[in-house]
Amino acid sequence: MNCLQAEENFSAHLEDALDYQMLQRFESHIAECATCQREYARFSESVKASQQLPQIEPSPYFMPTLQQRLAEEQRESFSFWQRLQRVFVMPKWAISGVMVGLLIMGTVTFLYHDDWFNRGTQPSDEQISTQGTGIFSGSPINNQFLPRASGSSDFSNTISGQPMQQHYTLKRVSYSTVSTGGGL
Amino acid sequence: MLELDDELMQRFQKGDEDAFNLLTRRHQKPLINFIARFTGDKDNAEDLAQETFIRMYKAANRYKPGRAQFKTWMYLIAKRLCMNEVRNRGRRDRFRVDNIATNDKAYSANDEQIDLIATAPADAAFQPEVALERKELRNAIQKAIAELPEQYRFPLILRDVQGLSYDEISKILELRSGTTKSRINRARLMLKDKLKPFMELL
Repeated sequence: MNCLQAEENFSAHLEDALDYQMLQRFESHIAECATCQREYARFSESVKASQQLPQIEPSPYFMPTLQQRLAEEQRESFSFWQRLQRVFVMPKWAISGVMVGLLIMGTVTFLYHDDWFNRGTQPSDEQISTQGTGIFSGSPINNQFLPRASGSSDFSNTISGQPMQQHYTLKRVSYSTVSTGGGL
Repeated sequence: MLELDDELMQRFQKGDEDAFNLLTRRHQKPLINFIARFTGDKDNAEDLAQETFIRMYKAANRYKPGRAQFKTWMYLIAKRLCMNEVRNRGRRDRFRVDNIATNDKAYSANDEQIDLIATAPADAAFQPEVALERKELRNAIQKAIAELPEQYRFPLILRDVQGLSYDEISKILELRSGTTKSRINRARLMLKDKLKPFMELL
């Protein structure tokens, strides 16, 4: 055994973990080598010193603070899923399925029926007046069902085989010509 | 008879909060010591120890008694928190040993007992400088441990300061038994070299 090998076995010798053959080789080397003898003595002393390091005592606030934090954790321990489960009494996967289904339905509705959103939309800078003729003459026609035209147009529509003619008159409001009463 | 950690964990898993309180009381001191020795910061050690217990509390349902020891699990979480802490902390504060080394309050009643034994008035050889030298030595050991590379510091603290077995250390550090043994030996050799100037005190 050389010095390097002896050094590698310092801990094992200190803890009585060497087998008989290795113990013999180690001890015979130590007996012959003054450097290893000195180093091993220092090694065992430093190990002993580090093992005798005093224990640090927890502060008196440690346990009360911890218990307070644990109590808070206990209150908050019901997760979103657990709360939802309590409401619906359903397993997680079922709630997930319902939520995904709702999301898909919402998306499909939005994509295929987006004209719903446009029905109530009126041109902001145009005012459309309508005048019905024929059998609907004199009766108001709901603007909601009229196309959004940007100019005057005539078109024919047939309801119950009766031609219907509508006249659109667009009146463009020009803000630049509106009197400001001399203020501006 | 003292209830085993696993039994207490099982009780806690069944809803007994007191069982977890008992576990924290049982392990608070070794845990704080482990973290303080590793980070070199006693005040922060308490925060990290609390964080460790809270993580265990939250993950208690995943704990399988018999598969892993409570102690091993605790140190494993603490080790990860320590590593994060050290990495997040700048190099400037990395080896803040002053907090422990110079603060008398950081030392325990046991520490005082050691000093009293060493400097007992009945001792004919009582010398105030001996007590001072011992204190210097403790500071030097703490500083030397704190200066060890992380991969050697963890096993050394777990073995020599915490007194864990090689098997337990291997599980905590997720190392093979042979690697753990050689790292501990290497760490001790490094510590011996660092303490060379103080060897006459030993």
